[in-house]
Order: sequence, then C-alpha cells, then structure tokens
Amino acid sequence: MNRRKGPRRTSHTQRQGDPAGERRWKNQNQWQDQGSALVKEAQETVQKGTCQTMCPAREMQERESQNRLHHFEMLAGTEGHRKPRADPSRIVKEYSRPAAGKDSTNPSDLRPPAVLLKTVCYLIDDIAAAPALQPWSEVYSFVFDRLRGVKQDMIIQRVSGTECVAILERMVRFLIYASYRLCGEPLRLYDPKINETHLQENLSWLLDCYASGTGPHTNQDEFQALGLLYNLGSPRAMQHIMELPEELRSSPAISLALSVNQAFLERNPVRLLRLAQKLNFLQSCALHRHLVTCRKDLLLIYSHGFSSRNCRFPLDKLCQVLALDWSLTTQLCQTYGVEIKDNHVVFTKTAFTDPEQGKLQCLQYHNIVEEKQKDLTVRSIIHGST
Amino acid sequence: MAHITINQYLQQVYEAIDNRDGAFCAELLSFKHPHVANPRLQLSSPEEKCQQVLEPPYDEMVAAHLRAFQSHKEENWALPLMFAVTLDLRIFANNAEQQLQKKGKGQPGEMMEKAAEQLMSCFRVCASDNRAGIEDSKKWGMMFLSNQLFKIYFKINKLHLCKPLIRAIDSSNLKNDYSPAQKVTYRYYVGRKAMFDSDFKPAEECLSYSFHHCHRSSQKNKRMILIYLLPVKMLLGHMPTPQLLKKYDLMQFSDVTKAVSEGNLLLLHNALTKHETFFIRCGIFLILEKLKIITYRNLFKKVYLLLKTHQLPLDAFLVALNMMQVEDVDVDEVQCILANLIYMGHIKGYISHQHQKLVVSKQNPFPPLSSVS
Repeated sequence: MNRRKGPRRTSHTQRQGDPAGERRWKNQNQWQDQGSALVKEAQETVQKGTCQTMCPAREMQERESQNRLHHFEMLAGTEGHRKPRADPSRIVKEYSRPAAGKDSTNPSDLRPPAVLLKTVCYLIDDIAAAPALQPWSEVYSFVFDRLRGVKQDMIIQRVSGTECVAILERMVRFLIYASYRLCGEPLRLYDPKINETHLQENLSWLLDCYASGTGPHTNQDEFQALGLLYNLGSPRAMQHIMELPEELRSSPAISLALSVNQAFLERNPVRLLRLAQKLNFLQSCALHRHLVTCRKDLLLIYSHGFSSRNCRFPLDKLCQVLALDWSLTTQLCQTYGVEIKDNHVVFTKTAFTDPEQGKLQCLQYHNIVEEKQKDLTVRSIIHGST
Repeated sequence: MAHITINQYLQQVYEAIDNRDGAFCAELLSFKHPHVANPRLQLSSPEEKCQQVLEPPYDEMVAAHLRAFQSHKEENWALPLMFAVTLDLRIFANNAEQQLQKKGKGQPGEMMEKAAEQLMSCFRVCASDNRAGIEDSKKWGMMFLSNQLFKIYFKINKLHLCKPLIRAIDSSNLKNDYSPAQKVTYRYYVGRKAMFDSDFKPAEECLSYSFHHCHRSSQKNKRMILIYLLPVKMLLGHMPTPQLLKKYDLMQFSDVTKAVSEGNLLLLHNALTKHETFFIRCGIFLILEKLKIITYRNLFKKVYLLLKTHQLPLDAFLVALNMMQVEDVDVDEVQCILANLIYMGHIKGYISHQHQKLVVSKQNPFPPLSSVS
C-alpha cells in the first residue's frame, strides 16, 4: 500500500469501505518515528524581527495620523500644530497589550536584538539622562512604557544571550534608580507597586539568564548583590544567593550585601546602618526602602533595651547611630512617640507607637542615599561602569 | 473542551493522529484533560462512533477511554492508578529537567512546573468531589497529591504555592484519617514550610510528629526529618545529644551544638563555614545563622556568671566578643545586641547609657530559652 505523506483528504465514508484491520495505519517504522518525535523538543518557529528603526514604520504612520504621539516624539517645531509630525529619530515603539486576534508577530513590526539595545541606549541617554526634560516623573512614564515595548519584542522573539543580558541590566538599573528618585511622589504620577512588580520580573529574568547562559557575565556580582539588597530578608532571595558558586559569592559586592542582610536578620540596625555607609549609590537605592524599617526597629529595640526610670540617652549619640541630623532625629522620635527632654532621649518601652500607614515619609530620610550621588550622572548610573 | 460534541472530539483525535501530534493526542486520552468533564462524551457504547472515525487500534483505545468516564463519576478505585501515574510524571519531569540542564537548554524549573500544573488539576478534581460518600470520595487522593506537589515546589523554590494546598487539607474533615505514611510526609513538608516562614513553634510540632511517627526502619527518612528538626529545636533551646547525632550520622551538627551551648561565637562561625556546602544544600544554613542570637545570649550569661554582679559593665561584653574574634564590633553595636536580647525577652534588665552598664534583674535575669517566645 502507498505510504501517505501529508494529511489525509479522504472522507470518513470513503474509508468505511476499508475492512478494519487489513490496512494498517502505521507500520513499525512510523511508530518509532512518532516516538522519537515525542521525545525531541518541539520545533517551534520563532519570529525574527526585521524592523531596523526604534519604531516600525506602520506604527509611526498610524500614531501620527491618529494624533497619538508623545511630545518627546514630535518633530521640533510641529508640537503646536493640530497634527504634529513624528520625528523618526525620536519615535519609539510603544507597549501595546497583546490582544486576541491581533497580529503582533509580523516581522516588520519586531525589532531584532541589536536594534532593541540601541533603542534602550537612546531611551537612557537622550530621555532619562536629559537634564532639560522635566518633570522626571513624566520622563519615567515614557521610558517605562517604551522599555516595556522592548521587553515585549524580546519575549516574542525569545531573545537570549549577550544582548538580552545587556538590555535587562540597564532596565533593572533604571527601575532601581527610579524607585529612589521618585520615592514620595503622588500616586497619580508614580506607583511604587507597579515599579516593583516590573523590577522583580526583570531581575528574575536576568538572574535566569545568568543561571542558564554560558557567560562570562561581567556584571553578575553587581546584580546578584542588588537583588539581595532590594529583597532584603526574603528567604527566597537569600537561598538563591547561598546556592551561587563560592567564587561568585565571595565577590566584594555580594559579600557586603550578605553582611547587610545578616545584620538585618540578626536585627542589629546599628550594624546595618553602619554597613550601609559602605554601599555605592545604586546599591543604596536598592536598599533604601528597608531603611525605614531599620530605623523603626532601632527605636523599638532601644525603647525596650534602655527602658528605665532615669534613662538619659544622649541625642547626639542617637543621631550618630541613626545616621541622621538633629532635626530629622527629633522628627523621627516624634513620629514614633519617643520622648526627648533637653538633648536626651527618655526611652520607655510603653511609649513607642507605630504610626498609621503613610504618616512616615521615607523621602525625608533619604540623606544616606543622597550624599552618595554627588557627581554621578544619570547616564553613568544606568549604563553602569562597563 | 467542555462543550464539544462527540463528533467534534473524535475529529480532533483523528487529526491529532494524522498530524502525528503525540502530545495533543495524549491530552485527549488523558483523564487530566478538561474534556473528561464533558457530559456529551460520556457514552456507554461509543464503539460504533469510534470505528466510524478512527482506524484501529485507535478506535478501541478511544472507545475504552470514553467508556471509562462512566465508571468514574462516583468512584475512587482508580486513585492508586492515579498515584502511580502522577509519581511517574514527577520523576520523569525531574529527569527531563536534569537532561535539559546538561544541555544548557530551557528555563530552570520549566519541566517541573508543567508537571505541577497537571498534578494541580488532579488535585482540584479530588478536592471538589462532593458527590460521593466518604468511602468513594476522591478526596482521599488529596494528601498524596499534595505531597507530590510539595516535592516539586520545594525543588523549584516556589514555596508560596504550598499555601493553598495546606489550607485545603486543613479544612478537610479527612485530615487525620489518611495513611500514616502520607501523614508523616505531609507534616514533614508543612514543618519545613513553617521553618521557612520563621514559625518555629508550629515547625517544631510538625517535624516532631513526623519524626516520631516515621517508621523505625526508615533510617534515611528519619535522618532527613532530623536535619530540619534539629535547627528548630536548637533555636528553642534544646540541644541534641551526641548519641543522637552519631546514631543518625549527623555529626555536622556536633560542633554547631557545642558552640551554641557554650556561647562560643568563634566555634560557631568555624563550624558553619566547615560544613557550609552541606547546610546550604539542605537549605538550613540561614536558619543556623539565627542561632547566633542564642549564642550571644549564652556568652553573655557566662559573663554574668563570672562577674557575679547584677550591674555589668558593657566593656566586659566587648572583651568577651573580642576574645571570640568577632570583628569590628564597638560599644554601640554591643548595646544594640543587648537591647535586642532584652527586647526578645532573653535578658531581664536594662542598659544604662550614662553608666555604660547592663543592669539585670536580681531574679532570673536569663530566663530559660524554652520559656522565651
């Protein structure tokens, strides 16, 4: 009998005339072929993008005609027009929610990895780091969205390897920097929870790349450390670090992060704040939200440890261990109900109270991070030292 | 899948066979696929239909599959079958993972997660079985499946996924009636999860139960339970005897135990470093580091016993720490450590900054560890 090669076209009724059992559907070889096909990995066809510009031509025309350009993307001089023109050197593909039936896998709409990296560099150098563009919350929104578009292209094309790592590293640095810079901004301008979600996702993907890729990954120690500092005290983050090869774990960045984490676990805020002084700017940004808990812990522990009728703890000393100036220390004590009497703190365990949510402004206590920024430029912060 | 007609279903099977799509075909013949819930596919005599559409031997296979739906509606005799299949599935997924890792392909945990998804749908079928009586209920499958899923979640480090399973079993009225073996395994994982969440009292209860009810002949399992039970007990102030450690070949803990009870921070540090690989692999390294606080407490108690006074100069503690080669600690940090011990209830007293002294209570200044928290 002939071996059929393609899908059969014969109808049910036609085959009904075939005596059951005589014409075998598969001979022995065909069975084995199917077996090995099951074992082999699925050979899926992955889209490879061909768009060589930051924004596909189709989208540029569409958004221009529908008047949906961001003003960072408009051709200079046309911003005031009824229908501003798009500047091809400044328009970037926006993020669009994948929808059923939408043809998002047209190769001319997808940007290959090299173009994606160039796009990310443009977003950092010309938008995020541009001092003239204010307010920064608006810069952030734009860059955040366009980076999301980059990530989408990466996912569809299953990008991996050097470019993937280079892109993700910059994204993570950007989001960590933003978490510090926009801390305290009103919710309608910046949502820390959304920033966190994306930061964790990108960090997770980046760490997976390090784990499954062949390397060498020159910045791995930097990012493993940032991951731990950002997720201070998280059992999952800690176990992950412990499972890294010893050589990597003993790098200065990770060792320091581990010490900070250890101080956190041991509930030694004095030690933690002391170690935090050794962190660089970006590491401090990653850590900064935990400093609120840290300082609160210090006041709580001291409220119990020094609680006595004649307690006279020098305010100067408290300033020193909290790494805050006089007025901020006084303010912090006030927030937690800690009593101050003529330059001395009267710790009593009953006095300490945790204020209602939101009353404490992390923003006011940023000094420890702020002073590290000094002459660093946004550009160098996000691109890193490489 | 839940609404297609018998003809549509058979057409899909036919096409799957024709296109040699083994994976999809397997799904269509699997009890775990949603199509089993479709009432239109529950025929008592599906043979004729099957023969119309499919070639042998597929016609018989599919007919048997469809016939089987009928018999499982209110029964659970197939549970052991499911146990065997799911166990195999997990083991295969594990092997597939290892093979992929060797080739450097695929995301870590991918295979295991897929296996977990399949098991989860089995679990849901069992958990939602409200129709049959207790004897025939598929709920009896819940604990076995939970245990399989725990193994996967621990392997891929996604412990938060254990929570809904624990909740489901806790709220079930069968929870004490499962087989002893299943209960031992279940408590072992629940105990480990509690450890991870730093709930040490519940962790101790679960792991102790597991240890005591584990069959005497399962030395290997008892040892595994002990690896997690020991750190928890130590944190609550109960040190294991050398005999116990020797019996279960866990001498890695002996130096740790000695260091903690003597308040010897240096020995603790060395012991943790020496067996670092073992502790990390078991996932207990970080919990053992928590023993540092207990060690501080024991060390400071020694200082108190030596000086025989209830007004202890802070310098004495600093000296003690320096003798233990604890690096770069100054008086401020000593104050913080002491303050924390007071806050946790390990020391009864207060620190006087003016006099640079720790003033302890004249009665029971260092309460026994088991009575604290």
